Formats: sequence, C-alpha cells, structure tokens
Amino acid sequence: MKSTSELTDFYYNELFPELEKLEDERKALVSKITTYGIGLAAITAGIDLSIFFKFGFNNFLVALPILAAILAGWVYKHMSKDYIKSFKTEIIKRLIHAISENLSYMQFQHISQYHYKRSNIFKDRIDRYNGNDLVKGDFNDTLLQFSDLHSEYVTKDSKGNKHWHTTFKGLFITAEFNKHFDGKTIILPDQAEQMFGSLIGGWLQSNNFSQRELIKMDNPEFEKHFVVYGTDQIEARYLLTHSMMERLLNLHKRTKGNLYISFIGGQIYIAINNGHDHFEPTVFKSLLKYKLVMEYVNTLNLAIGIVEELKLNEKLWSKQKRSDMDEVLHTHDALFGHEHLNKRSFF
Amino acid sequence: MTALIILGVIIAILVLMYNSLIGKKNQVDNIFAGVDAVLKKRYDLIPNLVASVSQYMEHERGILEKITELRAQAIKPNISDEKKIALDKEITSMMGGIMIAVENYPDLKANQNVMHLQASLNEVEAQISAARRAYNQAVTDYNNAIEMVPTNFIAQWMKYTRKQVFEITEGERQNVNVGELFKK
Repeated sequence: MKSTSELTDFYYNELFPELEKLEDERKALVSKITTYGIGLAAITAGIDLSIFFKFGFNNFLVALPILAAILAGWVYKHMSKDYIKSFKTEIIKRLIHAISENLSYMQFQHISQYHYKRSNIFKDRIDRYNGNDLVKGDFNDTLLQFSDLHSEYVTKDSKGNKHWHTTFKGLFITAEFNKHFDGKTIILPDQAEQMFGSLIGGWLQSNNFSQRELIKMDNPEFEKHFVVYGTDQIEARYLLTHSMMERLLNLHKRTKGNLYISFIGGQIYIAINNGHDHFEPTVFKSLLKYKLVMEYVNTLNLAIGIVEELKLNEKLWSKQKRSDMDEVLHTHDALFGHEHLNKRSFF
Repeated sequence: MTALIILGVIIAILVLMYNSLIGKKNQVDNIFAGVDAVLKKRYDLIPNLVASVSQYMEHERGILEKITELRAQAIKPNISDEKKIALDKEITSMMGGIMIAVENYPDLKANQNVMHLQASLNEVEAQISAARRAYNQAVTDYNNAIEMVPTNFIAQWMKYTRKQVFEITEGERQNVNVGELFKK
C-alpha cells in the first residue's frame, strides 16, 4: 500500500501531464458554460421582457425562467460528461491502479442493492437507488469493493406532492471479514446517548424493538459514539475486540461521525453517510490545487486502507482461506449485481 | 376510587421491577451457558495440543502436566460456577505461557498441525475472552439492579445476592501479544 506522500508524488509526477491537459479541458468547459449561460440568461430575459410588455404580468413569466434553469441543468450535465469521463479514466482510475493492480475501477457501476439491503444498516424503503465509481478487487488478500451510493425514498403529503428523502448518500464499502461468525451485529451512530446522556439514552436504546438485542460495550468512548445491536452477546464482543473498537473509533474521527457498520454473513459493511459524491472533478475550481488533490487521495486511502486500518488481512484465526460463501457473493455481483446507468436521471 | 388506581399503578410497577430482576438473573445464566460452551471447546483442544508439543517442549513438561490435570478437573460434571471461573483463570495463564513458549521451538513452528492448532486455539481464546466480557456485562447489569434503589428492596425480598465477575488476569492480557509474535 503506497503511503499518502508516495501517492501525492505519483499524482504530481506521473499524472501531472494529464492533469494539465485536463485543466485546459476544464477551462474550455468553463468558458463554454459561461457563454451558453449568459446567452441563455439573455434570451430568457429578452423573451420575458417582451412578454411582460405585451401581455403584462402572468404565470408564463415565472415558468420560463424555471424552464430555462431546467434546460441549463440538462445542458450542463451533457457538456461536462466528457470532461468528467476523461478525469475519471485518466486520473482516478490510474490512482487506483497505482495503489494496487488487483483493483478494478468502473465509473458507471456501483454496489448492488443486494449488498446494500443485506447490510441491514438502513431500513428505509428504496424508491430511487443509484451510484457510481465502483472499485473492486483483491487488496492484501482481502476481497473488497466500494462505491458512491445514493438511496432515497419518497413520501406524499396531503396535497399529493411528492417529497424525496435521502436515506444514504456517500461511500459504501464492503469487504470479507477474517473471522467466522453466524449472526448479525450492527453498529450505528449513537444519537440517543449524545442527546439525552447515558441513563435515558440507554433506556431509549434498549426499547428500540425494531432492531435486535442491545449490546453494551465495555469501552466508554465507543459507547458514547456508537450503539450496537446484535443477535448474540458473545459474538458481538468476539467481533468487537478492544483493539477493533479502537480502530473503529479512529475511523469515526477521520470520517467525522456519519459512520455505520455491520457484520453480516462473513462480510463487514461500512457506510460513510457524508452526503458527498466522491471522485468528481471540480469544474469551477482549478484541478491543480494541492488541497483538492489531497481530497481524492485521502478518500481513496480511506476506502482501500480500511483493509489495513481494521487489519482485515490478519489471518490469525481459523478462517485462513477464502470461504465458498465469499466467492459466491462476489460472483453474484459479477452476474447480477451491477446496475448500469440505463435510466439516467438528470437531477 | 383514586386509591384503587394508585394501588393498581403500584402493583404494576412492582411487577415490572420483579420481572426485570428475573430477566437480568436469567440473562446471567444464559450468558454463562455460552461461556461454558466456549470453555468446552478449549478443553476439547487441549489433549491434541499437549500430544503435539510434548515431544518437543522439554522445558515445559511441568506446565503441560499441570494443564492436563486442570483440564481433568474442569470437565467433571456438576462443578460450581465459581470453581469454573477459578479454573479458567489458572488455565488461561498457563495456556498463554505455552503459546508464547512455542516461539522458541523452530521445529514446532514448521509443523503444519501445530500451526493449525495454534490458529484454532487463538480463535477459541478470543471467543472465551468475548464470552467473559459478555458475562461480566450481564453480571454488572444484575448487580446494579439488585443494589440500586428502588429495585434493591425487591431484590432483598427475593434474596438475590451479588454475583462474581470474571477477572481478567495478566496472563490473558499476554494473549493479545501472541498475535504480535505471529507477525515475525
């Protein structure tokens, strides 16, 4: 695993020529957008004014700018498509290969709903589900995959208007876990304890019947930030050793909360619900800014580094070889899981 | 009329408290059963371990004999929970000593059977550790309930007494280091 500094060096030395080309592409894109934007704004204003002078104030005056905005959004997406694809192929894909050649990158694929639901982390209904930037493969002898995901559900209010709510938007990671276990253990951010303190918060948690048994961990800081539910008191502690809890707390600090974890069916699922779509190139800011570079590098390091961070590659127990179940899970994805971007949503 | 309602509420509260104490006591027993199951796994592995290493480990003969003896005591039926806990404490520190000593015998480290056994033992020790932690949590919840107001009055009436937790010995803390040794 390359260190952050090695990767940053790689970024600047090997990728810099590509970056400069892309920076030119980006600047061209920005001027194109600006030109079209101004043009569209001018036309809209012109039409609006002429309507106003002819017919006075009416609904069309408001509808037209809205239509123009929608059109602008569609055109923006269309125009930036090539630039984004170039960036992801030339830069992100090569960064990933630099970290490990056994990892593959697919821009338009994402973690399947099968895994998302299997993780048992988010229980809300899924009405809209998409994502991108899937990375999968073998890292340090551990099967790993992650992608950006956006999962939403819709509600209708009394007037019949639809409201979309986001259940999860961020990075979703899954990897094979190096211990045998039979049940389910789910670790969620501890909102009750943070709000109400340990006594009332604890009572509220144990009465949350929708989840399984509440499991109180013996690390006070872990208890403060997380709440654990599971099917087996002993198994949960077998998985969450004192060192594992420390490592998860570190991850929690790095991801600034928003961390959801579960252990199910031989896999560990990690969801970082930070509302971001990662690995997207900037359009209006320079690609060559150091801080920007570091964001991409850090996200990749975080996701792939989970294997080392949580010591998933340590094979100290009886699960030395990949189990048949792990193979099946990853083959399943190859055959059924990846949902292509057939239905394109523009908004 | 209101007196009846108040009486009803009091009875309901008493019932809830009584049930919660029963629940906590049962949870302790439940988890101890789990501890037992996992201790049994370890006791099943011990004969194999002793047989595999005793030819090589001259210096540790004494410890191996002691482990065998302790195991014989531990698998007797009908020993008390306190006795089980005490035996676990002793065996754990001895097992820790043996596993560390294996590092000094290159012949053993090359032996596939022994390595496989080590991985199994590692797993069992980790599970025992988890079981102890789960038991301690259940016991702490139970002890809290029988000592804190207002459930302590009911607990006294039910003649519930404090239960003992598993103490984590220095020996067990050393088990964690065995993992570090494997990396060499």
